[in-house]
Amino acid sequence: MRFVTAAVLFALWLSLSATLSPAHVAVGAIIAGLVAWVNPVLPHKRRLSWLAALAYGPWLFGRILKSGVHVSRLILHPSLPISPRLVSHRTRLTSDGELVVLGNSITLTPGTITVEVAPGQLVVHAIDEESTEDLVGGALEGKVADMFRSETSDS
Amino acid sequence: MVGLGTVLILIGLFFLVVGSIGMLRLPDVFARTHALSLTDSLGALFTLVGLALYEGFNTNLLKILVVLGLIYLLNPVIAHATIRAAYRSGLRPGSGENA
Repeated sequence: MRFVTAAVLFALWLSLSATLSPAHVAVGAIIAGLVAWVNPVLPHKRRLSWLAALAYGPWLFGRILKSGVHVSRLILHPSLPISPRLVSHRTRLTSDGELVVLGNSITLTPGTITVEVAPGQLVVHAIDEESTEDLVGGALEGKVADMFRSETSDS
Repeated sequence: MVGLGTVLILIGLFFLVVGSIGMLRLPDVFARTHALSLTDSLGALFTLVGLALYEGFNTNLLKILVVLGLIYLLNPVIAHATIRAAYRSGLRPGSGENA
């Protein structure tokens, strides 16, 4: 696990320093190793389905694009036809990882923002009724649950 | 590549402008934060991807991707922190501090 952390940090170093001179590479390798060695390893009991996670990105982008166009139309419409509301949503997702992904996805999607989060409970602000479709319909939640499937099955 | 990059940058600029207009037109802090997520999720995305294509394949491409990843991780956190602070200090949608 520490090795993966060091490798990711080293890759980040290489992409930011943008040079392959031995001195730079050596300093980067030393620092990446040092940082990975000093920091504690986070408890890693959850499994992520990488396939579902890869499919999630493009799916979420499609949703963001669709609601982005929708919100743009609302904003540019002369009469500003918004109907802001707070939606309280019960969710079957309870673990930290799931809630982080769900909450971030809601906020990234134009038209909906996570206001409060608790295990099994979300308060979401929506700009109009159409924006809440994915959330209330459970489409978003289902996709997030797919990603963490093995996690929910062992609990 | 340069042509496609230019088109994407223009699309990104469109969303940035619409987001800014929304920031001015929408009534309260809750609604305005929606305009923010429009500029972040779509404006920044299209502008940076367009810039990456415009640049061509070199090390700047990697830097742009790093910036993009950070924006997508951090902006929801900032939007959420802002709106939760407003909510906890007693503001409600439609109560209208300057509606």
